[in-house]
Amino acid sequence: MEEPIFIRDDIFKSGVNGLSVVANKCNRCGKIAFPKTKYCVHCFNKEMTEVEISRRGKLYSYTITHYPVSKFNPPHAIGLIDLPEGIRIHTPLVMGNKEFKVGSEMEMVIGPVWMEDGKAVIGYKFKDINN
Amino acid sequence: MRDVVILGIGQTMFGKLPNSTVDELGTQAAERAIEDAGIHPKDIQVAYGARAVDAQVSVQSILRRIGITQIEMHNVENACASGSTAIHLLWKDIAYGIYDIGIVIGVETMTTSSLAGRLIPPAGKDDLNRLIGVTMPSSFALIGRRLMEARGATREDLAYPSFKNHRNACMNPFAQYKKAFTIEEIINSKVICDPLTLYECCPFTDGSASVILCSEEVAKRHTTKLIKIASSVIMTGTYDIVEKDITNFTQLERLAKIAYEKAGIGAEDLDLIELHDAFACEEICAYEALGLCPSGEGLAFMNSGATEIGGKIPVNPSGGLLSLGHPLGASGTRVVCEVTSHLRGEAGQRQVRDAKVGMAEMVGGYLAGMTNPVVGGIQILTK
Repeated sequence: MEEPIFIRDDIFKSGVNGLSVVANKCNRCGKIAFPKTKYCVHCFNKEMTEVEISRRGKLYSYTITHYPVSKFNPPHAIGLIDLPEGIRIHTPLVMGNKEFKVGSEMEMVIGPVWMEDGKAVIGYKFKDINN
Repeated sequence: MRDVVILGIGQTMFGKLPNSTVDELGTQAAERAIEDAGIHPKDIQVAYGARAVDAQVSVQSILRRIGITQIEMHNVENACASGSTAIHLLWKDIAYGIYDIGIVIGVETMTTSSLAGRLIPPAGKDDLNRLIGVTMPSSFALIGRRLMEARGATREDLAYPSFKNHRNACMNPFAQYKKAFTIEEIINSKVICDPLTLYECCPFTDGSASVILCSEEVAKRHTTKLIKIASSVIMTGTYDIVEKDITNFTQLERLAKIAYEKAGIGAEDLDLIELHDAFACEEICAYEALGLCPSGEGLAFMNSGATEIGGKIPVNPSGGLLSLGHPLGASGTRVVCEVTSHLRGEAGQRQVRDAKVGMAEMVGGYLAGMTNPVVGGIQILTK
């Protein structure tokens, strides 16, 4: 089978439940680095464990860009999601029928985000579970 | 450490000048600064150029046109704080006695640069935020949204800094847009990254601003108006933490605290501030971070009119980046030129009355995992 193309290689992992987005957790202080760092930039410990980041979180803020950005055509929604493990990540959002609402429960969707040389490039987005 | 004096300032028109090259704009600003200082080009001992986009040996290319060669020259890139950084480096050279006089030239031709016509993405081709489509305006739009959601800011509140700064710019001959807008016109202009609209985002601009710094001893041969750099600080943000509350500009707060301490003053001593208002809503957060009002009271402080010319502490009397435009490398030098003209009493119609102490601030650069700018720079000037 052909290897999938990712928006960035170091943020995805293939497992028994399919693809997941991964971060690094420090074995000593427990802080999470996303995207991954080589060692813990908080306590400088070198031992890090790869962890899957939660697929559910709450929308902290959002904006809709009305210009082409990266490989996305407008409108392109960007959000900040608070994850239960105490990190907040930037993410593209799936545009639904309703307006986004701060505080909404959001769910990660992994799949093609754009095409490159005729091939789908895999990325992540978050989607309002009620929209 | 020696006192460092701002001996000369010079700037070009800021605007869409696609037929002007970096060399032409930089030369014009440098010549004006040299003339303003009342020195000969050959008096210059060291030179720093500040340019953030497509840069290579810019300062050498500019200064050879006015006969300055065979001295130490450097080119500095630090995103929107490039100009502040270059001034900081020259300030150190003079403060520590390495040189007695030098020049900084900040310059950028944004309208013909590789960034022209695009929303500016974070640096680095493989930066995760760049890949997922985060840009400068979207980063600040996320902050604007939080001001509305968590702080109760109205849509009109977010637009206010743009309203105020555009009104100030009508009195600034160097401004790209000398046009006042109503709050409604600002809110109803084209949406870029909602809630941010076109008139709440700084435009693409070409321009240059130059500053000549020297020791007090050299300055006294040329002038009796000694405008001094009371403190100069450049600091990098934290790379790994996404702020708990993104409307708290904690990096800027730390930076300002150091700048005040080094200058031996407090926020209450400032008579004016020129700061990075690339996006209107960020100015509101900066009021709190710079200690102009207690944390959480930025909106009430703003709505009291405190930051207008004639108010308690005028912010961006020049018109700011929103109306002057933001030629990245030139903005950090331009804010020092602006504060200097107020302290000299030469700012014309927009003059802040009896100004004795002023702050020039620039922040810039974003990377994945951060909601704080990567670089911040502050210079506090006194007379």
